[in-house]
Amino acid sequence: MPEAHDRPAEQFTLKLRRYDPESGNAPYWDEHTVELEPHRSVLEAILQAKDRFDGSIGVRCSCRQAICGSCGVRVNGEPALACHTHLDAAKLGAKDGVIEIEPMGNMPVIKDLIVDMDAVHWKKIQRVTPWLLAKQPVPEREYLVSKESMVDVTQTMACIQCGACVSDCLAMEVDPGFIGPAALAKAYRFVGDPRDDQQLERLTDLAEDPQGIFDCTHCFKCVEACPKGVNPMGQIMRLRRIAIGDHHIVDQNNGERHEAAFTTLIKDNGLLWEAELLPRSYGGNSWFGKFAPPAGKELLSSLPAILKAVVRGKVTPMGALKPHKIPKPDLKAVQAIYEKIESRPERYELNLYITGEDETVETAESFDDPVAAGVTHEIGGSEAPPTGAEPTDLPPGANGPKEG
Amino acid sequence: MPAHDVLIIGAGLAGQRAALAAAEDGASVAIMSKVHPVRSHSVAAAGGINAAISVDDDWRSHAYDTVKGSDFLGDQDAIEVMCSEAPAEVMELEHMGVTFHRNDKGEMDLRAFGGASTKRTAYVADITGQAMLHVLYEQLLKHHETVARYEEWFTTSLLRDEVGNCCGAIARDVRTGRMESFTAKNVILACGGAGQAYKPTTNGLIVTGDGIAMAYRAGAPLMDMEMVQYHPTCLVETGILITEGARGEGAHLLNANGERFMEKSAPNKMELASRDVVSRAEQIEINEGRGVGPNGAGILLDVTVVPRKRTLEALREIVNLGKDFAGVDITREPIMIRPGQHYIMGGVKTDVDGRTPIEGLYAAGEVACVSVHGGNRLGANSLLDTLIFGRRSGEHAAKRAASMAMPEVDANAQLREDAERLDAIIARPRDGRRVSEIKSELGETMNKYAAVFRDEAGLHGALETIGRLREEANSAWIDDHGTVFNQDVLGALELGYMVDCAEATLIGALERKESRGAQFRTDYPERNDADWLKHIDITLDDHGSPQVSYSPVTITQWQPEERKY
Amino acid sequence: MKVAYWPGCVSRGFTPELHGSMAKVAPLLDIELVELDRACCTGAGVIAEHNQELADTLNARTFALAQQVDGAELMMNICSTCQGAQSECQERLDANAEYRAHVNTTLAGEGLTYEAGLTNKNFLWLLVEEIGLDTLAARVKRPLTNLKVGPFYGCYIVRPRERLGIDAEHPRDHYLDQVIAALGGTVIEYAGMRKCCGFPIITMNKEASLKQAGRHLGDAIDADADCLVTPCPLCHLNLDLQQPLAAGVVGRQLDMPVLHLPQLVGLALGLDPKELGLSRHVVKPTSVIDWSTSVVAAAA
Repeated sequence: MPEAHDRPAEQFTLKLRRYDPESGNAPYWDEHTVELEPHRSVLEAILQAKDRFDGSIGVRCSCRQAICGSCGVRVNGEPALACHTHLDAAKLGAKDGVIEIEPMGNMPVIKDLIVDMDAVHWKKIQRVTPWLLAKQPVPEREYLVSKESMVDVTQTMACIQCGACVSDCLAMEVDPGFIGPAALAKAYRFVGDPRDDQQLERLTDLAEDPQGIFDCTHCFKCVEACPKGVNPMGQIMRLRRIAIGDHHIVDQNNGERHEAAFTTLIKDNGLLWEAELLPRSYGGNSWFGKFAPPAGKELLSSLPAILKAVVRGKVTPMGALKPHKIPKPDLKAVQAIYEKIESRPERYELNLYITGEDETVETAESFDDPVAAGVTHEIGGSEAPPTGAEPTDLPPGANGPKEG
Repeated sequence: MPAHDVLIIGAGLAGQRAALAAAEDGASVAIMSKVHPVRSHSVAAAGGINAAISVDDDWRSHAYDTVKGSDFLGDQDAIEVMCSEAPAEVMELEHMGVTFHRNDKGEMDLRAFGGASTKRTAYVADITGQAMLHVLYEQLLKHHETVARYEEWFTTSLLRDEVGNCCGAIARDVRTGRMESFTAKNVILACGGAGQAYKPTTNGLIVTGDGIAMAYRAGAPLMDMEMVQYHPTCLVETGILITEGARGEGAHLLNANGERFMEKSAPNKMELASRDVVSRAEQIEINEGRGVGPNGAGILLDVTVVPRKRTLEALREIVNLGKDFAGVDITREPIMIRPGQHYIMGGVKTDVDGRTPIEGLYAAGEVACVSVHGGNRLGANSLLDTLIFGRRSGEHAAKRAASMAMPEVDANAQLREDAERLDAIIARPRDGRRVSEIKSELGETMNKYAAVFRDEAGLHGALETIGRLREEANSAWIDDHGTVFNQDVLGALELGYMVDCAEATLIGALERKESRGAQFRTDYPERNDADWLKHIDITLDDHGSPQVSYSPVTITQWQPEERKY
Repeated sequence: MKVAYWPGCVSRGFTPELHGSMAKVAPLLDIELVELDRACCTGAGVIAEHNQELADTLNARTFALAQQVDGAELMMNICSTCQGAQSECQERLDANAEYRAHVNTTLAGEGLTYEAGLTNKNFLWLLVEEIGLDTLAARVKRPLTNLKVGPFYGCYIVRPRERLGIDAEHPRDHYLDQVIAALGGTVIEYAGMRKCCGFPIITMNKEASLKQAGRHLGDAIDADADCLVTPCPLCHLNLDLQQPLAAGVVGRQLDMPVLHLPQLVGLALGLDPKELGLSRHVVKPTSVIDWSTSVVAAAA
């Protein structure tokens, strides 16, 4: 972005969330105005404030280039690396042009922008046995493994343990025991490594733990937060796919049953049959699923809601008891698709992180915009959202739960 | 008071490798780091690690390339050790789980790198340092019962016993401010280099020469401190490193006329000549008015000549860096770079087992000078250096520990002294300068006078400036008077460390009246083997004054010759 | 404008008031809805969790059917989850010609082909980008004056930004705010507005699911909203149908009405609450209905 980088220095106002544990006081906001070129980083702004005005500002930082993972913070309410967020983008996303910087969420605050990562992040990393359990016998030279497999796990290996995904994980917010995106992405790094000996054991462990892979609320926050394109939620879905598809593991959260039921119901009807989906998720993927005790229990507790829905005319009894289907020839076509794909000996999965995207022509526009994501569509892909390495304009924060 | 067989200070690649090696040999190990281990600057190493693992390669070729790369200042016995042990070490890392990229046969793939006569650099995209550091940390997590980790503890001084042997250290728990003394039979320094004494530098903010300075103050000699590497391809504004791997994949360097000027100074290796040769060539283009950019202060690195798909796979990280920190898509247009401070070949003098002349004190990694890099380090040899000598130090320290009793140390006095020293800094009145100001001036001075091209007058002036900055540092005041996570007071300590390192560099640069490797004196532009084929050592005497001496370069197989690329 | 219209599954199942209100609102905005009644469920991300190629192929089929609609300017959906699930599949299909060709061979049996580059927009995006806020405002008959509306974006339509085309020129993650304002309403910001309603884990961790819904509803109450509006029927289910249970989980009384986007638009365009299906909600939108009646009465 030649334009952005040619702009002269201007003033930026930062609002830092301060907390001094020794003072006995509550956290408070501290404003500083700095002068830097607009393409410089929020970290440089914090450090200028620290250097010039108040050396007691606590912030972890080192490399300044998004590789050491020290400077995870919340900018305007969204998780980010301070060194990786441009000032002009941050200002655009700020309320009244004042950039708000707070410590990361979901973790206790030690001081100012410094959080206790051991208490949450590292504890969860340790939960997933984060070292290679090597296949025996160990060869004399290197293990011979495919090129693609190493490129594949490089995506999760690239995690710099910054905690941005943990900071704003919405499942963890309501369920602090959830193992979480960073740890589960790390788990994939081993599950996907052909040299690891314990794929089944790892998956069983993480699937059967009620706060494991089926506790993810599928909200994409971690995908967005990650500065390195690790795509933690995508990895969690891959873990589910392998656990269920390859190892037929049945978890305690109804995850496997839910997935099986959903898939089958679409095959049978083309459209979702909500009234069947619920009992089958609890009782098993058949019409008789609703008679299994767990399903009965669930139906009973949902009865008030269902009755109200019927009374209001939202749902008719027939509408609930009968599925609505797509026309017969179309349903046949859908079923043919199912048959063809599910009968493959191995799942065909396109991994854009490995294949890359085709050369496209349209990158020029998004590039000239000094504020828009500088990232082109060329990098990464759906298995890795286009790097996530771009410091983008951040939306005005939801005033997320404050620490301290 | 914690007591261990081996206390390792610094948890980058060298430190972590030493910890694993010592623990494997049955020693009780503690590893201490002022930041969380995975924040260590090893994490930023990008391009790869050298090893003659190919069946068509020979470690002697690797050794020769290293000797030549060092401009014959490297100790050849140490280089032989490093290169001969490299293949096994790289395999060891692979077995631990490093996700090295593969070729079509499933074997580790090798890329070209600077100063190498053949492709021998194993890599993980362009995040090799990160991949290795994280895998080593995984192993430390695995071995948590045998390796005690002290994460975010800042070391303030080394402990010595009555006969002068090193027997531990004093450190501060950054989180609580509590000071503690640690007894150890052996201490291994693995604190890295001193890049932050320069501005700009590729180094992270934590690289402040702590280990070099602590050893120096304890009386250990520093060697070859004048040998400071300027990496050829750093982003103009921020100094952020763009890996040599780009040139390894085929990228070109162009001046304002669009010429591949490396032809003039290195017709064979071109962009893959040794780093000092490339940096000098670039600086000459800039100085002679053929630079690019608003001040003509840059050179163009053209990665567009590399197939785009390859760039996106093997140079993913610098694609991101280019975009995020320079606003350039390197797959579509050249990016502006220039030489920037990157590495210090010099450091604490050690033998091939990491031993310093102080019994019980070891050093490994960038903090040390064995010397395997001599006057200039080849790219992808640093990752190797850290592992080989990290491992050897750990093994040797473990062996030494097995045959000795735990020292009985009364560290109370020193503990009190250090605590008081910090308190004194905190209590300083606000009539001096701020730490950050002094640091800034230090960095600018070093980058002006101790960079790619040096001369007597510049070096002298710089030395005087550093003297003044040392004085100012002694009265520099800070804002933070708290005990919890007081980064301010640590910054003051780090400033002192940086000043020590900078001073040693200048003394060495003045002393060496020749040009060799990374040291180029415009007043002594030729290499002078007759007078200067030797190491320059600097040791603090009993009065705390630096004394210069020399030590010989060990030559085994390769006689010095003219160095052409 | 003519659109290839994918109504989704739930709008024809447990939230029929969504389907009905969209049908009523479309003609008022000169939108001709050509319903893709041959198309099947997008998979909602769940089928992709099971088998990626299956999800991609089923959606490619829907895309191909949309591309066959004569004169349609684009495809439109009324469900954030459909948008998110389809965008993810489309990203893969568009990125790799070889893969697209592979998927097309499966569709060939029906004589269908998907060509890269389909434009697929949620009704919310269509309102702002195709119809335009000015045109929308001009058609308002009953401005939402004094109605305090909390936008509930949820997840699938705001993350990840790149995939959903959110950038400085298309601040799609602010469109609900803009639409509410264009309709004359007061936008209420509150903590939970872009958080997850919890629907994806309603069967997997019911308590965590309802805790999310309950908290966000509570946030909206604390911010003094009269009602929420959402572009996703699955969010609607967790926020409305499940609201009584959610209230129990978070231990506070809620009673926060949740409207579907077409319902809010319909109210402003002059339609009455009954025909928009507002009476079918589990949480009676009393405050909204009262407001609308009072406005009508005042106007009369």
